[in-house]
Amino acid sequence: MNTATVSKGMERTPPLPITGKRVATGSALYNEVLEFVYDEAALLDGQKFDDWANLLAEDLSYTAPLRITRQGPDRLNTVVRTTLHFDDDYSSIMGRLQRLGTKSAWAEDPPSRTRRLVTNVRVWETAKPNEYETESYLLLSRSRYEHYQLQVLSCVRHDLLRRSGPGAFKLARREIIVDQSVLGMANLAVFL
Amino acid sequence: MLNESKATLSDGTTIDELINVQTREVSMRLLSDHEIYKLEMERIFAKTWLLLGHETEIPNAGDFVVRDMGEDQVIVSRDRKGDVHVLLNVCPHRGMRVCMAEIGNAPMHRCVYHGWAFRPDGSFIGAPIEREQMHGNIFTKDQLGLRKARVQLYGGLIFATWNINGPSLEDFLGDSKFYFDLLFCRTDGGLEALGPPQRFIVPANWKAAAEQSASDGFHTLTLHRSLMETGQYGRASADDIYANAPAMYGVDISCRQGHSLRCIPAEQTFTMFMTMEELKKLSPEQRLEVLPPPGISKEMLPEMKRHMSPAGLKLMAKAPPQVGGMFPNVLVLFIYAPRTDGKYSGALALHSYVPRGPDHVEFTNWIFAEKSASPEMKRDMMANAVRQAGTSGTIEQDDSDTWPHMSRNARGAIGRQQTLKYGALLGEKKPEDWPGGGYVYDGFTKDDTQWNWWLYYRELMTAKS
Repeated sequence: MNTATVSKGMERTPPLPITGKRVATGSALYNEVLEFVYDEAALLDGQKFDDWANLLAEDLSYTAPLRITRQGPDRLNTVVRTTLHFDDDYSSIMGRLQRLGTKSAWAEDPPSRTRRLVTNVRVWETAKPNEYETESYLLLSRSRYEHYQLQVLSCVRHDLLRRSGPGAFKLARREIIVDQSVLGMANLAVFL
Repeated sequence: MLNESKATLSDGTTIDELINVQTREVSMRLLSDHEIYKLEMERIFAKTWLLLGHETEIPNAGDFVVRDMGEDQVIVSRDRKGDVHVLLNVCPHRGMRVCMAEIGNAPMHRCVYHGWAFRPDGSFIGAPIEREQMHGNIFTKDQLGLRKARVQLYGGLIFATWNINGPSLEDFLGDSKFYFDLLFCRTDGGLEALGPPQRFIVPANWKAAAEQSASDGFHTLTLHRSLMETGQYGRASADDIYANAPAMYGVDISCRQGHSLRCIPAEQTFTMFMTMEELKKLSPEQRLEVLPPPGISKEMLPEMKRHMSPAGLKLMAKAPPQVGGMFPNVLVLFIYAPRTDGKYSGALALHSYVPRGPDHVEFTNWIFAEKSASPEMKRDMMANAVRQAGTSGTIEQDDSDTWPHMSRNARGAIGRQQTLKYGALLGEKKPEDWPGGGYVYDGFTKDDTQWNWWLYYRELMTAKS
């Protein structure tokens, strides 16, 4: 394989292979996580960024690797974690939110109408009793201006949720793996 | 019918008429017209040198990436001798795409259709069932290799052209090369691409992005006003942004071939440096220590000094080139990057705006660091580049949401009769002891560099050959 993408110390560590016990679909814990996932999507779709920020842990890692097409023996090695689409932590996300709150964040003013369709949610326990791994599929549709065409982006998200109270979690890590190697969206001025 | 010899469109309009040299107006028809697009593919993208990547993306024999020269897809590969080749990704047999991946390593590229196989240097190995000689007896094997572009490396950057006997890359860069050297050829190890490029599609004509890349400084004050409102650029008060005009005063340079760069003193732009009164009193040598150019750490300064003339060093100390473009479709972004912790870092990126039909452009964004930078510095520069530029970059997300509107406006029967106007020229003015050549514009950034871009565009589009 072309080693240029893995040999320079730039490759981020992928979320560990999930080894914890699966949290049964429909269990009380699963439902709590599902409510968090749905509520978070609703906050973003509703442009309630201050409330969304309250769901973020201060040790947040928020990244989106590139996808790339390979052929042959390496064909399944499609995630690139050297260059990223998002390479953010808590303070840089706060910086993005601060910008969105200015008078001149034109990429989202007028704002996109978004719909985050979150499905295929799976939950696992971790070594820490208050942390859970989740995987979710996200289909983001984005409507801008009077354009009738919806911009669409599909991805899978690997989150680490940390319990912060009864029925409450904070997002401590999110890795967003988009499906397109060439994104069909002109920017990611929206969160995934 | 498009009359190509006279660059006349089917309704009788000539390219000359669409770029009015007297009034410095460019017809918006150029942002949507299909005939013009076809002509651009032939006269620009099949003629000039184009940036395809960096050699650190393909370090080993057999490594390849697949890239685009206009609408022509090419394989950029390294052979066993270490040479880089650029090969049309079209099988000479039946026109199938030969390489289906975007990146990889292969001792040969075998077409999946009938199995014709090619070496990383493009030469034809053979078709299956050698004894039956399925490549026929009309052409020899030597004649059946992948079509090869002319390749030249510069600072590790891979450039290619289909103009096999045309000007050298050095001639094409012209007087701008002195300034590009300061960015691309300044350390022992040179630059390193930190990974494959980000890629995304913007529904806009490629020139909406490209004419801006020719050092449009003025848009920063309005389109990128959020940078000032968040307190990164300019004085803290957002109310007098236009009055104190951050990032507007500096020295713009360009040349006949349409390349350009903006050399801007850091204290003209960034809030954190504006208050550093002591900067103005420092000698160039002292300034370099206090404020090394973007992407260079204090530890790397001795190395950088070995690669530059005293005149070049002085420029890097006072006003390093930070943004600009290479004709036809490259944006250069070597900027200071304020961080959320109050310190600053550098972000080094090159974009190539690849045409995808008259109404779309693919934004390709490479992120770089000097090879000799520490791993921590590289990580930091990646993060800062991603946060400011490209897909999610808080600066460039405003650009990519703007260009589509220009393109859309250019599709109207009346809209396409409107013009882009380059009426505000500063005029050539060279500061005393200016180290480089080319056209030099000292003062408030105006339309000069972008107009030069269009003049070169016009020259190529109306060229007789």
